[in-house]
Amino acid sequence: MPDIKDEALEFLLARAGLQLTDEQKAELMTVYAGIAAMAERVRKPRGHMAELAHVYNFTEEDLA
Amino acid sequence: MTEAIPTIAEAARLIAAKHLSPVELTRACLDRVQALDGRLHAFVHLTEDRALNEARAAETAIMRHGPKGPLHGIPIGLKDIVDTKGIPTTCQSKLLQDNIPDTDATCAEKLAAAGTVLMGKTTTHEFADGGPSFDLPAPPARNPWNTEHFTAGSSSGTGAGVAAGLILGGIGTDTGGSIRGPAALCGIAGIKPTYGLVSRAGVAPAAFSLDHIGPMAWTAEDCALMLQALAGHDPRDPASASRPVANYTAQLNNGIKGVRIGVIHHFHETDHKVSEGTQRSITAAIATFRDLGAEIREVQLSPLQDWLACGSLISITERAAAYEEWARTRLGEFSERVRSRLMLGAFVTGVDYVQAVRRRRELRAELQSAMKGLDVVLTATQPAEAAKIDAVPKWDLFAAPNFTMPFNVSGYPAISVCAGFGAGDLPVAIQLVAKPFQEPTLFRVADAFEKATPFRDRRPALVSA
Repeated sequence: MPDIKDEALEFLLARAGLQLTDEQKAELMTVYAGIAAMAERVRKPRGHMAELAHVYNFTEEDLA
Repeated sequence: MTEAIPTIAEAARLIAAKHLSPVELTRACLDRVQALDGRLHAFVHLTEDRALNEARAAETAIMRHGPKGPLHGIPIGLKDIVDTKGIPTTCQSKLLQDNIPDTDATCAEKLAAAGTVLMGKTTTHEFADGGPSFDLPAPPARNPWNTEHFTAGSSSGTGAGVAAGLILGGIGTDTGGSIRGPAALCGIAGIKPTYGLVSRAGVAPAAFSLDHIGPMAWTAEDCALMLQALAGHDPRDPASASRPVANYTAQLNNGIKGVRIGVIHHFHETDHKVSEGTQRSITAAIATFRDLGAEIREVQLSPLQDWLACGSLISITERAAAYEEWARTRLGEFSERVRSRLMLGAFVTGVDYVQAVRRRRELRAELQSAMKGLDVVLTATQPAEAAKIDAVPKWDLFAAPNFTMPFNVSGYPAISVCAGFGAGDLPVAIQLVAKPFQEPTLFRVADAFEKATPFRDRRPALVSA
């Protein structure tokens, strides 16, 4: 399973604007692999044309 | 049914015949709150005076003009993430201890318009996430079947309150199973309606595109009566469906001869193997459906883990976005469990999120295709009987996939109904799922099952003790 290095964690937390204690950071590192596995699982060979679920269309209300 | 605690349908008939007064009914519920809630913690805020006033007003109106509908004079509870005008709505969080909304959520407004009696705000996991937490302003709800055990969440107070008869019905919300989980472990019925059928306006978000509002009650029929009042278009909710509201009780008592039920065996037998008691109940339920004349088939979908990965990435990201401001400035005020879940947002990139949303489209298409030629699909609601309340893992998100998330990802309506009792004599349940907006079919099948089995005849022992 993938691991995360301290520098990478610091970067992600700074990007997210979260200030954590050392204890919280250590715990978060233990579950990184779980999230990475989920992120891998949703990737399929679907090609660049595959749409996402949240698209929208205009309704009559937009034209009113 | 237990004589002391009527279902909503039974109470409505008695009230209409003027054999039961809403005031008597409300007092009986308040008496049970008084006797039991010190152990159950189903309520975070009891509105006793308001309940009695509303019950008196209902009684007067009914004596003059008859009931306006089956919910007139019925005591209910609202999960404490539902905005209630003039009544504290804390989301069970230290961050909102002084929050008193100046408007009602649409679902609260609709139930009030139907004549319900508001008993109070029911316990939730903080912002409908994580839990059970012991570092919040109020303790977590406990399971009425055994108070050492968990209710599941996050609509934990509504689940416990309905099972113990503190309320006859209530509102839950469901982002990954938060109506169906507590319904299952507390031995009641709970439906997550089709996405967009019930307005989310005025309800604190957990994850915008996965959040559903729905009723929880002792029976499927009661859920149908509540959904009748709750469903309908609401311009305050951008995801609200513009469709005519169906008649949710019209198909009850039609029987289920010829109804086509697909069983997703691999969900609960392979992807996440359920407990012996749960499996026994699922097998018995399938036999019951067959005896009632349903056609049973097998359904194959992507592994449960695929659905969970998709739903979890979306949920983590949408939640992190919703609560980003507080996470950046007041992180220490969240409970440990919610704080930890919010921190996960840092790990999900924008591309991860979009890939999850692309996967969501594929999974929904897969379910749509699998349900061609079927009316309902069936699987477990929970993997096992309720765990001890102090033995619920903090990172259960990664422990094993749940059975409810697939239908938040797809938005299809799903109901949990009690299917018996397993280890420790704790309730076990089945989950039934229909096509979008086919709640009438779902209620028809769930109601037929409840009426063909004895599980609605028994309440938790502490109610009669």
